[in-house]
Amino acid sequence: MKPMAVTNARILTCAFGAVPEVIEKGTVLWSGGKITAVGSSVEIPSDAIVIDAEGKVVTPGFIDAHCHIGISEDGAGWAGEDTNEATDPVTAEVRALDGINPKDIAFRDAVAAGVTCVQVDPGSANIIGGETLVMKTWGTVVDDLVVKRPSGLKAALGENPKRVYGTQRKMPATRMGNAAVMRKALTAAKDYLRKKENAKEPDKVPDLNLRNEMIAKVLKKEIPLRVHCHRADDIMTAIRIAREFDIDISIEHCTEGDLMGEQVKASGYPVTLGPSLTDKSKLEVKDIGFAAPVALSKLGVKLAIITDHPVLPIQYLRICAGLCVREGMDERIALLAITRHAAEIAGVADRVGSLEPGKDADLVIWSKDPLEYDAKAERTFINGEEVDHRRERGGLL
Amino acid sequence: MKTRAYVNARLFPISRPPIEKGLFLVRDGKIVFAGQGEVPADAEVIDLTGKTVLPGFVDEHAHVGLWGEWYGQPQQDGNEATNPVTPEVRAIDSVWPAHSAFNDARSGGVTTVQVTPGSGNIIGGEMAVIKTVGKVIDDMIVKNPSGMKAALGENPKGLYGRNGKMPSTRMGNAAILRAALYKAKDYEKKLAAAEKDPTKAPDTDLGLLGLLKVLRGEIPLRIHAHRADDIVTAVRIAEEFGIDFSIEHCTDGATVAEFLGKRKAKVNVGPSMWHRAKVETWNISLETAGILAKAGCRVSIISDHPFHPIQFLSTAAAMCWANGMSEEDALRAVTLTPAETLGVADRVGSLDEGKDADFVVWSGHPFQIRSKVEQVFIGGVKVFG
Repeated sequence: MKPMAVTNARILTCAFGAVPEVIEKGTVLWSGGKITAVGSSVEIPSDAIVIDAEGKVVTPGFIDAHCHIGISEDGAGWAGEDTNEATDPVTAEVRALDGINPKDIAFRDAVAAGVTCVQVDPGSANIIGGETLVMKTWGTVVDDLVVKRPSGLKAALGENPKRVYGTQRKMPATRMGNAAVMRKALTAAKDYLRKKENAKEPDKVPDLNLRNEMIAKVLKKEIPLRVHCHRADDIMTAIRIAREFDIDISIEHCTEGDLMGEQVKASGYPVTLGPSLTDKSKLEVKDIGFAAPVALSKLGVKLAIITDHPVLPIQYLRICAGLCVREGMDERIALLAITRHAAEIAGVADRVGSLEPGKDADLVIWSKDPLEYDAKAERTFINGEEVDHRRERGGLL
Repeated sequence: MKTRAYVNARLFPISRPPIEKGLFLVRDGKIVFAGQGEVPADAEVIDLTGKTVLPGFVDEHAHVGLWGEWYGQPQQDGNEATNPVTPEVRAIDSVWPAHSAFNDARSGGVTTVQVTPGSGNIIGGEMAVIKTVGKVIDDMIVKNPSGMKAALGENPKGLYGRNGKMPSTRMGNAAILRAALYKAKDYEKKLAAAEKDPTKAPDTDLGLLGLLKVLRGEIPLRIHAHRADDIVTAVRIAEEFGIDFSIEHCTDGATVAEFLGKRKAKVNVGPSMWHRAKVETWNISLETAGILAKAGCRVSIISDHPFHPIQFLSTAAAMCWANGMSEEDALRAVTLTPAETLGVADRVGSLDEGKDADFVVWSGHPFQIRSKVEQVFIGGVKVFG
């Protein structure tokens, strides 16, 4: 494939270090799916395909660090609903990978709105819901789209697990129960690891336990526990348990994070925030909105803005970022929250999230500032190839 | 009360072109003047240089105060889902003025809303137009009843069909709607006969009396219909009975835009920023509102709160504008058009002399994402900001 370049555009690289964050009248050059040069005076090879993007804005493809696209298929009802293996409060052994349909029509919406990479999470019905992954948003075979897997282990506190199991008179039925189930699962995996390590003879090695193997990755800090928690008390419980077990976590949703911003900041754990543009469907989200994202951004907490698709359709990721700016978030931080910071929180910043040499050529040519209502993603590239979502088979009318 | 003169703002009267550095006069809760002119000598002057003033938004279809949200089951008062035909129930008997959603509405600049029962039933009950501030629902009413709610498509057939009751199909939906309207017609005949002979007076039937308001043209039947076939069924039945109607949601409306346009149909489009939650919403698109407006429909953009949170009604209108609707049509779709189709344009919907002083001070144009609602007034009284 020939090298390609976008020139004359206002480039929001979202980079850190050698490449400036904003380049006026800049060029992005890529070849073989990877960016090879970014700057204001890039030498373009004579055989390159050049797109003159004068007057346009170029950004990295946007990243939604927490959503259920492909696993909760849009408009498919029960048949396409594979988000929660809600048959046991601990199902660390299940993998989002096995539940994702890359032909979910919502991927079209994602690409049309410049979202090229997503972290797909199992749902929040279980205390431990299964492994998360990070994938690109265009293709047919999920395995080919994976950027990282596992990228984390999903967990949940608060109303969802205690409602799902408590209403069946099973544990957990309370927040105390939520925490106990989480501690027991972590403890069981610790014991499993200890037995494995202490086994001097082959016949003493415990049977392979996929659940404990998965939780062990968290205990060994290979991946973070990604803990759904909305309310301030649930956020604190997540932090408490993380410290007890000396594990890494990300705080997912963090809806009341503004009530305890100092504790969140002191914990050092990253947060994902959203969906801010949604209804107050339960008590733990009665104050959902922009207070937490704005307050935490001002404290310097590293954060990603998320849609939680389908709770908020994924195409409105950029609108959420724009509304965060309206409510007081620094514009630069809002953009980073759907690009590089989202990539860092998802653990894939070596591949995506900024326009720098060596990164995947995932980029979007916008008609204007992408955080404005009327911005259009005019052309979207993933791994250096243009995605023509309009020609995709499977129209609906 | 002293006249208040808001000066130097950019005014969007909606009924007329925008006015730069306008003069906006308010007295005794009413708009006295909106245009360009001299500040009256005795007026209290409020300088709004750099600000934009619009009428308070009118949301033609929402469940504010009727629905649970975080309050849960004790406040699930939107669907009397015990019988597919319940024209006797009234939204105002469910609306809870203390519901937090009214706060949200005001914070988003929505000052008037039509509150409606849900779509669980074929005939769901009476709707009302209310202001979004107050402690006593009766004092908030602008118009009651303002319409009779009806529903076609998945919701009623799903709700009753899975319990083995009619309706369980779209045919069943239509049959029940027709039967209810015919029953009301028969009831009217009995009432007419009783005028000559009081001994023939039928027992009072509150539901049929409610439906008679529809048949007599006093209020429209407002029919929830997402998919094109349901929209067409709604029109077919409304025309059979010669009744005034509106199409609520009209999600698949672009498919039958010409059909609706030549009837100048009243369509309430939304919530357009939703996901494809059901099969009947598969063709959801931000382009629908603009396509229907171009086809000649009278288009209102609705929140259907809580499905699209009412505080983001301006975002929904902005996204329809960003996807092909003209600025004028999109602003009108959340102000004067709903006021007109609701029959309350004498009170709200534009910045014109004699109307209620329901207005919003914006930091900029509502279709710029960074514009904020700064102050909201209802009847001249500040309710937000």
